[in-house]
Amino acid sequence: MPKRIPRYTISFFSKNQPVFYGLLLLVVFFIPFYSFLGDFHERFMYISIMSMLYIVLALGLNIIPGFTGLLDLGFVGFYAIGAYTAGLLTLKCAALGPPWDILSNYWVIIPLAALNGALWGILLGAPTLRLTGDYFAIVTFGFSELVVLVIVNEMWLTRGPMGLPGIASPGIDLTFLYPITRFFFENPIVYSFKGRVPFFYLILFMMIVTIFIMNRLEDSRLGRAWFAIRDDEIAAECSGINIMRYKVIAFAISASFGAIGGSFFARWFGFISPVSFKFWESILILCMVVLGGMGSIPGVILGATVLVSLSEILRQVLEPWPDLVQARYALFGIILILMMRFKPAGLIPLSRVKRVMSTKDETILQTMNESFFSVSTDRKKLSKDR
Amino acid sequence: MFIQQLVNGLTLGGVYALIAVGYTMVYGIIELINFAHGEIYMLGAFLAFSFVTMFNVPFPLAILLSISCCALFGVILEFIAYRPLRKAPRLAALITAIGASLFLQNIALMIWGGRLKTYPKGTIPEIFKSALFYLGDVKVSLLQYNIITITIFLMFCLHILITQTKIGTAMRACAQDKTTASLMGINVNRVISFTFAVGSGLGAVAGIIVGVYYNAIFPMMGYTAGVKAFAAAVLGGIGNIPGAMFGGFVLGIAESYGAGYLSSGYRDGIAYAIMILVIIFRPSGLLGRKTVVKV
Repeated sequence: MPKRIPRYTISFFSKNQPVFYGLLLLVVFFIPFYSFLGDFHERFMYISIMSMLYIVLALGLNIIPGFTGLLDLGFVGFYAIGAYTAGLLTLKCAALGPPWDILSNYWVIIPLAALNGALWGILLGAPTLRLTGDYFAIVTFGFSELVVLVIVNEMWLTRGPMGLPGIASPGIDLTFLYPITRFFFENPIVYSFKGRVPFFYLILFMMIVTIFIMNRLEDSRLGRAWFAIRDDEIAAECSGINIMRYKVIAFAISASFGAIGGSFFARWFGFISPVSFKFWESILILCMVVLGGMGSIPGVILGATVLVSLSEILRQVLEPWPDLVQARYALFGIILILMMRFKPAGLIPLSRVKRVMSTKDETILQTMNESFFSVSTDRKKLSKDR
Repeated sequence: MFIQQLVNGLTLGGVYALIAVGYTMVYGIIELINFAHGEIYMLGAFLAFSFVTMFNVPFPLAILLSISCCALFGVILEFIAYRPLRKAPRLAALITAIGASLFLQNIALMIWGGRLKTYPKGTIPEIFKSALFYLGDVKVSLLQYNIITITIFLMFCLHILITQTKIGTAMRACAQDKTTASLMGINVNRVISFTFAVGSGLGAVAGIIVGVYYNAIFPMMGYTAGVKAFAAAVLGGIGNIPGAMFGGFVLGIAESYGAGYLSSGYRDGIAYAIMILVIIFRPSGLLGRKTVVKV
């Protein structure tokens, strides 16, 4: 009987996944009560919320380079689409009155933002995903820049560089359940989010759902098809996988997670402007995926946490020198270079990614480069010729 | 207005062409989008500026110094970042290139600060300043005229280098097949270094030209110009040197007309949109042959 290869090269993560996630949840759940941190607590809460937001984003991005083996440099475009969907719906629909004001409800906005993200993912992905590799990367980059340009220029809608201020916090309004709840409470239940704690639990919940979905996706039919495409496109196609379809699905799902992250960001900050959606944001998220290990869910969680904390701490330390605050991104550049040079499969590598990324075998390398690299319009014909 | 925009577009296009050639040469040989190329262009502008303002070097000498430094940077970059990954998956090299670009850009930000830099009065010889002459009612500054001629001259030199000289032949051989080239006694590593040196040098020229033309130098300049030049390289068919020159001019003119007639806010968007459309509908570029995938 062939030996089963463990999923991660670090055996702790392959064997004890429930333990890992359980411990993580236990530590994270009580962060709002860590009063022993004293003055640092507020800041710690902020960093935790940011980390969890970026974990959601990085896990969303991870589908593209990690699961399907393509490079997506325009993830922030979907993040921006989600944020502006949420911001605009909140601001414009609240003024319209019933029945339209339901659209300014955050719980309605989440699926709408996800749908809008997925829609743009499909619109961008369907024509471009047949290009593999570097052309695809550069197209996604162009797309995210175009999104930002539209936001900057369409003043009538987005107020351009001035941004959208005063986006209301989400709330829970159970007035419609009053006929039931009145037996327990005197007044209708209405709760508006204030301070950091409710947002903390909201994003914690989102993160748990995301991690859960990603874990299920990984083992699903969809996930296995993606891995097959990543490892060898031609072999995958020969096994009856419709490559285009699975790639577009991957792109749509990835985009919708980006949009959900964006919608949270808009409602949490209450202010969005094009400055938040610069190209480097995409690279930062990519850096998280690369640091943790492409395709590795615990790795991406680790990568996002480490980089967000590092970024925020550096921001604090470098505050007296405004130029250096921006220049801290140089560090992320170095991280990308060093990781690719010495640990291309990341800190918590997937066994199969590690095998491919650090291979010395010419044939594996060639297969991988071909499927990453060729302009595959003639792919079908080529594989027939072969 | 129409011809005026054409002149502006040609000037801009010349700059894009100079950068695009660097992208396309590197891509032709090691099949990597060298994202850091835009940063080399930015460094070229900054170095020339620093030599002139801080060390009081005469302007022509500053140009030469800046070009040599950038050529050296290009070679070092290839040696440190890309060479160890030559036998690694492409994805790794591409991510490294992005990392290098991010790193260089922010190093420039650390050294020179985020503020816009302008050449002080009197540091650039008068001949480079806007002594205007008129062709009918079209205003052509001497600077624009110089930029266009310098660009075309450099393109011509490059063409001679690639087609007539020994090292040029070696470059073309490496672009076709590195293994066979090395069997024929070509030192592939040296050829790749040389390619990076030439590409980076041309990028530096473009940077210096833009620094003087707009009189504005800032750390983020490399990133937009780099992507637009890449768009130009794609437009002409990546790996194709005359294509890159052609693409640069087309893109410059399109951008100039777009900004003049449509909307100046979408100036950068025009390049991106053209790039996306070309990649989708004609991924081998306007001048490129149908790409044959090596199997």
